[in-house]
Amino acid sequence: MTNALEVENLQKSYGGLDALKGVSLTVPEGSFFGLLGPNGAGKTTFINVLVGLVRASGGDARVFGHDVEADYREARDRIGLAPQEFNVDRFFPIHEVLEHKAGYHGVPRDVAAERAERALKQVGIYDKRDTRFDWLSGGMKRRFMLARALVTDPDLLILDEPSAGVDVQLRRDLWDLVTELNEEGTTVLLTTHYIEEAERLCDEVAILDRGRVVTVASPAELMDRGTDRVVVTLRDPPASAGALSETLPVDDRIEDADLEEDRLVVTARQGGLVAPDLVRELDRAGHEILDMEIKRTSLEEVFVDMTRHGEENESADGEEPDGLADDAEDAADARVETAAAGCGEGSR
Amino acid sequence: MSGDAGAVDLTGFLTLTKREVLRFLRRPSNTFAPPFITNVLYFSVFGVILGERVGTITGVPYILFILPGLVVLGAVSNSFENASFSIFHGRWNEYIHEVLTSPLSYAGMVGAYVLAAATRGVLVGGLIAAIGWTIVTALFRPVPIEEPLYLLAFLLVITLLFASLGVIGGLAASDFDDLTVMNQFILRPLVFFGAVFYSLEDLTPLLRDISLLNPMVYMVNGVRYGFLGVAEVDPRLSLVVLAGMTAAAVGIDVLLFKRGYGLTE
Repeated sequence: MTNALEVENLQKSYGGLDALKGVSLTVPEGSFFGLLGPNGAGKTTFINVLVGLVRASGGDARVFGHDVEADYREARDRIGLAPQEFNVDRFFPIHEVLEHKAGYHGVPRDVAAERAERALKQVGIYDKRDTRFDWLSGGMKRRFMLARALVTDPDLLILDEPSAGVDVQLRRDLWDLVTELNEEGTTVLLTTHYIEEAERLCDEVAILDRGRVVTVASPAELMDRGTDRVVVTLRDPPASAGALSETLPVDDRIEDADLEEDRLVVTARQGGLVAPDLVRELDRAGHEILDMEIKRTSLEEVFVDMTRHGEENESADGEEPDGLADDAEDAADARVETAAAGCGEGSR
Repeated sequence: MSGDAGAVDLTGFLTLTKREVLRFLRRPSNTFAPPFITNVLYFSVFGVILGERVGTITGVPYILFILPGLVVLGAVSNSFENASFSIFHGRWNEYIHEVLTSPLSYAGMVGAYVLAAATRGVLVGGLIAAIGWTIVTALFRPVPIEEPLYLLAFLLVITLLFASLGVIGGLAASDFDDLTVMNQFILRPLVFFGAVFYSLEDLTPLLRDISLLNPMVYMVNGVRYGFLGVAEVDPRLSLVVLAGMTAAAVGIDVLLFKRGYGLTE
C-alpha cells in the first residue's frame, strides 16, 4: 500500500530557533493519524511544509510519493487543508470562495459549483451560502474551514486544531463527519492538543515536542506505557501498607503500593494484567476483598509525562536554543487546556 | 491530480483571473467612480480652462494633447494599484494561501494576477479616453484615432508592465503605507514628468535629455502616437523596449513566486 505521507529528517530553522529538528514520520494511506503536541511543538510548521507555506531547511517530505517541493503541484492537489487561522477570501460569498478553491485545483466550473454545494451541505451551512465569511458565527467559520478543505475531494485531509474553541456539539459533528470520510478512504492527519480527540479518533498518533517526534504508537499502546492504579478495598485492612509488602506479588510492573484507609492502591504498568495475581496473593494471605477497581492511565497523562520528560532532557542536555523559554510557557498552557478539555468532556 | 497538469493549470489560471477581475468589477464605486471624477476635473481645468490660454501644442488643441497622457496615468496607476493591493491584501489577511496551496503553477498564478490587473488598467484607460473624447468632440469636432493598432498595443504593453511591477510591489510591501509610497512618490512623479502636460520641445536640451531617461516618456509618447499619429520618439522602438521590460518584469514575478519571496516562511 502507498503511504499517504513519508517524511524523513525534516528540519526547519527560523534564525536561531529550530522549529523542526529532524522529524521522520510515515502515515499509511487510509489511516487516521494524530499529531499531538503542546503549543510550539512544531505541528503547524510541519503541516505548512507539506502544503508549501513553509520552506524546509532540510530533509524530505512526500505526499503519495510526490515530493512537496519538486512535484509541488501533484502533492498539493492531493491535500485538503483546514488550518487553524481563518485565512479566507473575504471579498466573495462563501459558495464562490469554495468554487474558486475548486477551480484552482483544476475542477471545471459546473463541477466546482456542485462540489461547493455538497461541501456546504456536508458541514451544515448551506443556507449561509450567499453570506460572506466575516458574517458567519465562530462555529460556522470553523465549519466552513472544513468545507473548503473538502471541496477539492482530497486524498489527504489535514486538520490543524479543527476543534480549537468550538462547542461540544460542533466538535462532535466534526468528529462524525471526519470519521465518515476516513471510513470512505480519505487519509486524515489531525493535529490537536485535545487528547481525548486523538484517543477517540486516531489509529495512530505521533507525539511531537519541541520539534522532535517523541514517539509514534496507537493510543492503546501509549496508554499501556503509562501506569494504572489498581484499587482494592479490604474488609480488615492492616495498619500500614508495609504489613502488606510480603503479600504483594513479585512483579516488576508494580511501581508503588499504598494504603488509603481501607483501600490498597497499587500503581503498576498494565494494571489489568497485574490485578489477578494481586487478588490471588491477597486471598491467599487471608484478606477479604470487598471491591476492586482498575483505573487505567489516560492518554493525556502519558502525553503530559512524555512532553515533560522532553523538557527535562532538553535542560539536562543543555542544548536548548535561545528563545525556547516562550515555547515552554506555551507547553504549560497546553497542559492546562488539555486538563480543561478533559473536564469538559467528562461532564457531558 | 484532478486532470492532466496542463488542463489543471488552464482551469486554475482562468479561475484566478476571473476571481481577480470580479473583485474590482463588483465594486464600481471603488474602481470606476474615482478615475471618472478625477479625469472630468483634469479635462475641465487643464483642458478647457487652461487649454484656452495655451492654444495648440504640436499642432493639436491642448486638451487633445493631454488626453493620451491622462489615459496613461489612469491605466498604469490602476494596473499597478490593482496588482499590488490584491497581492498585499491577500498576504496581509493570508487568504492568498488559497492560491498558494493549490496545484496552480507559479507562472499560472503570476499570469492571472498580471492579466486581471492589466484588464483593470485598460478599462480605466478606456473610460478616461471616452471622457476626453466626449469633451473634445463637444468643444471641437469628432477626431478619429489615427493609429488604433499602435494605441491598443501600447495600452496593452504598459498595463501589463505596470501590473507586473505591481506584483513586485505587493510582494515587497510590509505595510499598506508602502503601497501608498510606491504610488504617490514614485509612480505619480514619473507620469507627471513624462510629458503628459507639456511637449518635450518646450524643455531645454538638458531637461529634454534627462526626460528621455524616464520610461514614462516613451509610454505617453506611444499612446499619443496611437491617438494623434504624432510622436516625438520613434513609437516602434518604444514598443520594443517596453515589451522587453514587460517580459523581464513578468519573469521576475515568476521567480519571486517560485522562491516564495514575501509569501512563504
